[in-house]
Amino acid sequence: MAESGADAGAEDAAPAPAIGTASTRPLAARLAELSGTIVFRIAYLAVFAFLLAPFVVVAGTSLDASGAVVFPPSGVSLRWYDTLLSSPDWIRAARNSLIVAGGTTMVSTTLGVGAALGLRNVDSWPATVVTGIALVPLLVPGVVLGVALLVFFSQLGLQQQIPTIVAAHSLWATPLTFSVMRATFARYDWRLRDAALNLGASRPRAFLEVVVPNVRAGLLAAACIAFVVSLQEFVMSLFLSGRETRTIPVMAWNSLRNSLDPLVSVTSTLLVVAVLLVVLAVGVTAGLERIARDT
Amino acid sequence: MSLGDATPTDSDVRAAFRRATAAVSGRSAGLVAPLLLFDLLVFVVPFGYLVRISLTEQATAQAFVEGTWSLDGYRFIAESATIRREFVFTLGFAAVVTALAVGIGLVYAYAMWRAEGPLRVALVAGVLVSMFTAIVVKLFAAVLVFSPNGVLNAALVGSGVIAAPLTLVNNVPGAVIAQLYIVVPYAVLATFSVLATVDESLVEAARDLGASRPRAFLAVVLPHTVPGLLVAGVIAFTWSVGSYAAPLLLGSGSERTVGIEVADLLLQEFDWSAAAALAVVVTTTVIAALTLAYLLMRRQGGASAEVAADG
Repeated sequence: MAESGADAGAEDAAPAPAIGTASTRPLAARLAELSGTIVFRIAYLAVFAFLLAPFVVVAGTSLDASGAVVFPPSGVSLRWYDTLLSSPDWIRAARNSLIVAGGTTMVSTTLGVGAALGLRNVDSWPATVVTGIALVPLLVPGVVLGVALLVFFSQLGLQQQIPTIVAAHSLWATPLTFSVMRATFARYDWRLRDAALNLGASRPRAFLEVVVPNVRAGLLAAACIAFVVSLQEFVMSLFLSGRETRTIPVMAWNSLRNSLDPLVSVTSTLLVVAVLLVVLAVGVTAGLERIARDT
Repeated sequence: MSLGDATPTDSDVRAAFRRATAAVSGRSAGLVAPLLLFDLLVFVVPFGYLVRISLTEQATAQAFVEGTWSLDGYRFIAESATIRREFVFTLGFAAVVTALAVGIGLVYAYAMWRAEGPLRVALVAGVLVSMFTAIVVKLFAAVLVFSPNGVLNAALVGSGVIAAPLTLVNNVPGAVIAQLYIVVPYAVLATFSVLATVDESLVEAARDLGASRPRAFLAVVLPHTVPGLLVAGVIAFTWSVGSYAAPLLLGSGSERTVGIEVADLLLQEFDWSAAAALAVVVTTTVIAALTLAYLLMRRQGGASAEVAADG
C-alpha cells in the first residue's frame, strides 16, 4: 500500500515516460483500441444472451394460452401448469426426480466429506491418486457409463430401479462434493478442533459441534451441487430408468423426441426456477464466485 | 517427503516417524475407503464387465455369447464403413466444438474477471445458472430459439437483416450450437478459475508501460491463462467425443456420433459385443486425449512456474 502510494507520487512529479501512455499515443491507435473494446463488449454480451435467452423463451412458451409452443406467447395463461398438475405421469416423474436427487445428495456428500476429511493433511501422492480415481467417471462419456451400468446391473437384475440411478448419479456428483469439501477444509482453522479435542471432546462430537458449524457454507454448496447434478442428469437415467422410475428430464426427452409439447415448456420452466433458487441460496450463503472457482 | 530427507543413521527416529504416519493414515484410509469402494463397485467392476463383453462372440439370436472369447466386436466396428465415417465425423465435430468453446470461454471468462460490481455478479450468475440447467431444457430451448420459425430467425427476418430464415437445426451447425450449450459454461469456469489467480494489477502495469489493451492481454494475461484453456479444451473435447443428446436432437440423421451408434447397437441392434467394443474404443480415445493434454499441461505447468519465479 505504502509503496504504491509512493509510486503514484513519483508519477505526479515526473512527466509521463517516453514509451507513450494513453494520452500520447496516436489517434488512430486509440480509435483502433476503442473499436476493439466495443467488439469485446458485444462479444461477451452476445455470449451472455446466448446462455440465458433460451430460458426467457422457454418460460414464455410455458405461459402460452394456445396448444402450440410459440414465442412470444399469444395470450398468457396458466392452463398448462394446471394440466401438468393433473398428469399422473409427470407427478410420478417429479417424485422420482426428487427421490433420486435426495439420495444422490446423501450418498455423494457423505463419500465426499469422508474422503476430503481423510486426505486433509495429505498432499503427497495418495491424495493425487484418490483425486484421480474420483475424477475419472466424470470424464467418461455419459452414454458409455449408461451402457456399462445398464449391461452390468441388468445381469444382477437391478436395472430400472431407483438405487441404481442414485448410484450412477453419485458417480458424477461425488468428485464435485469431494473437491468442494477439500477446498473448504483447506480454509478451515483446524486448531479450533484441536482445542475442542484438548478440552475432552470426542472426535465425532468435536467434528459435529466445532467443525461442521464453521464449514456450513461449504457443506451446503457441496450438497446443492450434488442435488442439481442429479436433478439435471438424463443420459444415464435414460438407459437406467424404466416406465415406473423415469425422472423429469427423461420424460421431457421422450416427449421432445416426438413433438414440441407445451408440458415440456412447463416442466423446463419449473426446473430452471428450481435451479435458480438453489444457485441463489448457495450464492447468498457461500458466495457465487467461490462456487465458480471451487468446482 | 522424499526418501532423501531421512538420514540412514537415525533409524530410531525414522521408525517413530513411520509409526506416527501409519496411525494417521490408518484413520485417513478409513475415511477415504468408502469413496474408493463405491468407485470400485459402481465404476471399475461394471466397466471391467463391459470390456469382458466386448471380447465375446457376436450372436444373432442373443445379445452376446456368454463365456466365449473373441475379437468379433472389434473386427465388426473396424470393418464397418458406417462406423468409420461416424468416427471421423465425431472427431471433427469434437474439434470444432472444442475450438469454439475455448474461444468463447476465454472471452467470457476475461469479461467476468475484468468486470466489477453488478455486471460481475450478473456474468457469474449467468454462467452458473446455465451450467446447472438440465441439458434437456437447454436443448429444448435451443430448438425454440434456432429453428427456422424460431425466435432468432423471426427477429433477423423481421428486422430485415436477412431475407430468408437461416437453417440452424437438423444440420451440423445445429448439432454444434446444441453441444456448445452443454460445454461452454464449463469452459468459462475452467478458464476463470485460472484467471482468478492472476494479479489484476499486472494488466495495469502493462498499460502504464505503454502496452495497448490487446497487447497487454496477449503478452501478460494469455500466457498465465494457458493451463485453464487446456482444461477447458479437455472438458469440451472429451464430452463432445462422447456426445449423444445434442447431435441426436438438433442434428439430422447424417450427424450421427459414435455415442449414438453405441446406444443403437445396444438397444436396437441388440448386438452387445459390438456395442461394448465401440464403447471401449470411444473411452480409449477420450483417455488418450486426456493423457496427451496432461503431458502438455505438465510441460506448461513447468513453464508457468518459471514465469512466476521470474516475476
